Amino acid sequence: MPRIPTQVQEILDTLVAAPPLEGYLVVGALLFAIGAWGALIRRNAVVVFMCVELMINGVNLTLVAFADYLPNAGGLGVSYAVLVIAIAAAEIAVGLAIVLAVFRSRRTVNVDEVTSMRG
Amino acid sequence: MTVAFAFLAGMTLVSALGVVLSRSVVHSALFMSGSFLGVSGYFVMLNAPALAAFQVLIYVGAVTVVILFGIMFTQKPQVRRYRTIINRQFWAGLMVAAGVGAFLAYVLSAEDWGGAEAGNGPREVGAFGRDLLGVSQGSEIFTLLFEVASVLLLVAVVAAIVVSRRKIGEGVDRGVRE
Repeated sequence: MPRIPTQVQEILDTLVAAPPLEGYLVVGALLFAIGAWGALIRRNAVVVFMCVELMINGVNLTLVAFADYLPNAGGLGVSYAVLVIAIAAAEIAVGLAIVLAVFRSRRTVNVDEVTSMRG
Repeated sequence: MTVAFAFLAGMTLVSALGVVLSRSVVHSALFMSGSFLGVSGYFVMLNAPALAAFQVLIYVGAVTVVILFGIMFTQKPQVRRYRTIINRQFWAGLMVAAGVGAFLAYVLSAEDWGGAEAGNGPREVGAFGRDLLGVSQGSEIFTLLFEVASVLLLVAVVAAIVVSRRKIGEGVDRGVRE
């Protein structure tokens, strides 16, 4: 077996090693930020729902990363993530029902044209 | 692991940007399922394979299909220019979101997590199930939370039916008036 140079071995070690906790947290924060951006700028209510789901997924990723990396968490973040998924599913069912009802009465799903509750 | 991490980060974040920036609503929904698949890959890397299966079943399967149905019922032909799909807060929203993201990323990476090592998660499905049902030590609260979540799902299903049901003689459905 040929001998691997030290630098190549170091590079291989860093490639195989588990990424740090901060990596997962930063990806979760960026997912949350992108979802918040979409929820702020898009007009279609269905796309706003999708962006809210992206934000929920960012938070879930953070929860599971903490549950896996912090020893005192006891792995319970995974169970909380299951509850978050269940509540998000309930939210998407009720939200899409509301969007359908709004579309029936107003023929539009653009959130800036539905202004009957504006003060 | 680092290669998988980078690949999943690219897949998740690029798909999330695709949700926000794609002109077609259907493309947004498909990009969203791609982003959910990336997050489920992260769950596998984080020692939660059962949760990854839940993610694929519920998000990539059910939520995407429900949203596609919602698009099918509510879409009407309109010009797909950015001016019609995005409101006037494009740059202000970008600045706010970039500020939130940068602040969160800074705080989360500046905090000292005390030499945290991977591998504390409930890798076995049995341990995960005992946590979720509140049987194992320290997770007793989940007995209550599980029941509350089930009642909430039932109420949400009933509410969805009640809200979206069309009363006879009220409104029009896809151009057909009764």
